[in-house]
Amino acid sequence: MAAMLQQFDPPSSASSESDAEENEIKEIISADDEEKRSGHFFDATPPPSPRPPSAGSQKSPRSRRQRTTSMTMTQSKVTASVSVLRSHTRTIYTAGRPPWYNTAGQQAEPFVIGICGGSASGKTTVATKIIEALNIPWVTLLSMDSFYKVLNEKQHLLADQNEYNFDHPDAFDFDLLKETLGRLKEGKKVEVPIYNFCTHSRENRTKTMYGANVIIFEGILAFYKAEILKVLDMKVFVDTDADIRLARRLNRDICQRGRDLDGVLKQYLTFVKPAFQHYIAPTMVHADIIVPRGGDNTVAIELIVHHVHTQLSLRGFKVREELAHLFTGQPLPRSLHMLPETPQIKGLHTFIRNKDTQRDEFIFYSKRLIRLVIEFALSLLPFKDSMVDTPQGVPYQGKRCASHKICGVSILRAGETMEQAVCDVCKDIRIGKILIQTNITTGEPELYYLRLPKDIKDYKVILMDATVATGAAAMMAIRVLLDHDVPEKNILVVSLLMAESGVHTIAYAFPQVQIVTSAVDPEINEKFYVLPGIGNFGDRYFGTEPAEEKLPVSEPPKKIPINLPGMYIQLRVLW
Amino acid sequence: MGSVEEISKFNEQKHEFLDEYGPNLKTLPVTDQVKELQTIIRDRNTTRSDFKFYADRLIRLVIEESLNQLPFTKCVITTPTGSYYNGLKYERGNCGVSIVRSGEAMEQGLRDCCRSIRIGKILVESDADTHEARVVYARFPEDIAARKVLLMYPIMSTGNTVIKSVTVLMEHNVLEENIILSNLFCTPFAAKSIISAFPQMTILTSEVHPVAPNHFGQKYFGTD
Repeated sequence: MAAMLQQFDPPSSASSESDAEENEIKEIISADDEEKRSGHFFDATPPPSPRPPSAGSQKSPRSRRQRTTSMTMTQSKVTASVSVLRSHTRTIYTAGRPPWYNTAGQQAEPFVIGICGGSASGKTTVATKIIEALNIPWVTLLSMDSFYKVLNEKQHLLADQNEYNFDHPDAFDFDLLKETLGRLKEGKKVEVPIYNFCTHSRENRTKTMYGANVIIFEGILAFYKAEILKVLDMKVFVDTDADIRLARRLNRDICQRGRDLDGVLKQYLTFVKPAFQHYIAPTMVHADIIVPRGGDNTVAIELIVHHVHTQLSLRGFKVREELAHLFTGQPLPRSLHMLPETPQIKGLHTFIRNKDTQRDEFIFYSKRLIRLVIEFALSLLPFKDSMVDTPQGVPYQGKRCASHKICGVSILRAGETMEQAVCDVCKDIRIGKILIQTNITTGEPELYYLRLPKDIKDYKVILMDATVATGAAAMMAIRVLLDHDVPEKNILVVSLLMAESGVHTIAYAFPQVQIVTSAVDPEINEKFYVLPGIGNFGDRYFGTEPAEEKLPVSEPPKKIPINLPGMYIQLRVLW
Repeated sequence: MGSVEEISKFNEQKHEFLDEYGPNLKTLPVTDQVKELQTIIRDRNTTRSDFKFYADRLIRLVIEESLNQLPFTKCVITTPTGSYYNGLKYERGNCGVSIVRSGEAMEQGLRDCCRSIRIGKILVESDADTHEARVVYARFPEDIAARKVLLMYPIMSTGNTVIKSVTVLMEHNVLEENIILSNLFCTPFAAKSIISAFPQMTILTSEVHPVAPNHFGQKYFGTD
């Protein structure tokens, strides 16, 4: 009954978010499958290594929340791959990402926090607490564990006997770490290796991580190299008493990982403790803040969070409001390509703009208009001359498209309506998807989901969104493509209707991006809808308008009274 | 509207056309994209599946452009945001007529644009020796005389078939100026003979070229 009633609930505006959740669930399932197949899942085979795999770094390599973690098992089930953090006061969805660039579309630098501390000092707990308290959606957690060097056979053998020193700086690939961190700081996409603690080598697959507003980098030797220290905007050292750290290690390795006391102690005394004294403790001098007692120290965490908030606001991460009023009354830019305004196009607009158009007609006429827009967009691609033989025996001087690699990327949800048309005009075209939603409280666009063809940098990209108002979502999508190394000139933004300000914003930020649309409207209202506009295109196309605008159901639902002792319940029957 | 050069190039071509064929022969704006479609259709090495795919695309473009020739009236509607929009409204009373067989290839394109439009058919056969066209079959909506007619025929090399079909339409009291001919490829000879026969009729084509891709019907329907 509950399910039935739920089903009958009028679709709310949050319905698109449930899309995201569905995706999330699917991804997690597939990731789990992979782990089972590869047979090194943490629970199944307790690895003999001194720093065994963290659940976080192995779990969900393809999950949407892309971050590496080295959480201990007790926490990781909740926080490692699921994009929801629950603290005692509130629930934080760490999925959507607000703009990470300024109004000119240029990258604003993310804030990098380095967390260093001895083994089992509670670095991850501190990191998690910071993420919770920051309440900023897009945070990347990068763990040094991902950067262990690949072991040769001899070292592998040593590791099995607890005789390989995993706490020594030589155990880490600092070059790769430096490169990865550097790229992340530039907001670029990186492939983080997944280290397998059974084979002591990197797996074939990598975890894709994509820049963030805040990057937290944690590891026992986080402060060891000068060039990495330079990248860190804030350095936190977690200073937990050695006895407590040993106690935690014993607890973790014996109770949870099934290792024997002798082995753990041997490793601790020969490697872990000396390494702490030689390499880790001395780096404490670099720290901006030393946090005693790790994650329990709420005062220290509040201080850190306060500082990060101040820094972020200085870097300018609030975009949409500014965009809406930036350029008014300027001539339209040269990169804008508008379809010739024929009676047909005007007539199609008349149908889809009319608030009284039924959804059936709305969809039909939208599709026709979309097809025309896509055909027009394709004509803007580069072509080259081509001579062909004809069955008539006379050669024909024609043209062929110069680039065979064209892909579509739709901005969910409204952009998806244009996918069919792209598939109808380009055989076997690849389609990527980007989910960007407007945060209702801030009015800012947020990035939730991203799936792009693998080698997208080699493609001409047709970026699709049904309507462009402020251009904030389109800008975010373009920024994502640029961060995936797609050249700016290879991007076409294609949409049915744009507001003048959106056109200006995109053209100003990305002058080489070609803008294609069938109409440009002059204004945007306070809800960021285009005027006169189409209304909410996605809602009208998919039929998810808020309840009061819903069309009457053809057959009124029957009401069946059911008598229960002392209660009177009305049930709506759906069939 | 594309770049300034594109428009001026297009206008130039338009003027040449006006001089040679008069105002009633119209072509699709010649973009590289359209040129590519024509190239693929003409290429003898194109596979049948590609041929049909790209032919359908070109047909859709020609049909959309033909619909632009239909009459419309101005209207004002309210958008969901509560603003007004000055739009256009199509008038009712149109129909399609396809010339069997290759004209039928264009029916789907028309259906994709106008879901419930009435479509009539004419079968014209040309005598193998004399090339004289002969009407074998014709079936139209009853009130065709009151309608605008979108006559569909993709390839015209002599224009005889079309001339014969239009004659049949006019025998059914369709007004010459109410006929719009949708065509993909047309030879200058056919264009001129049709225009001189029916100066009031509108012709829309994608290309006027001395060589007509006569294999169109066979390749499209797979009977080659």
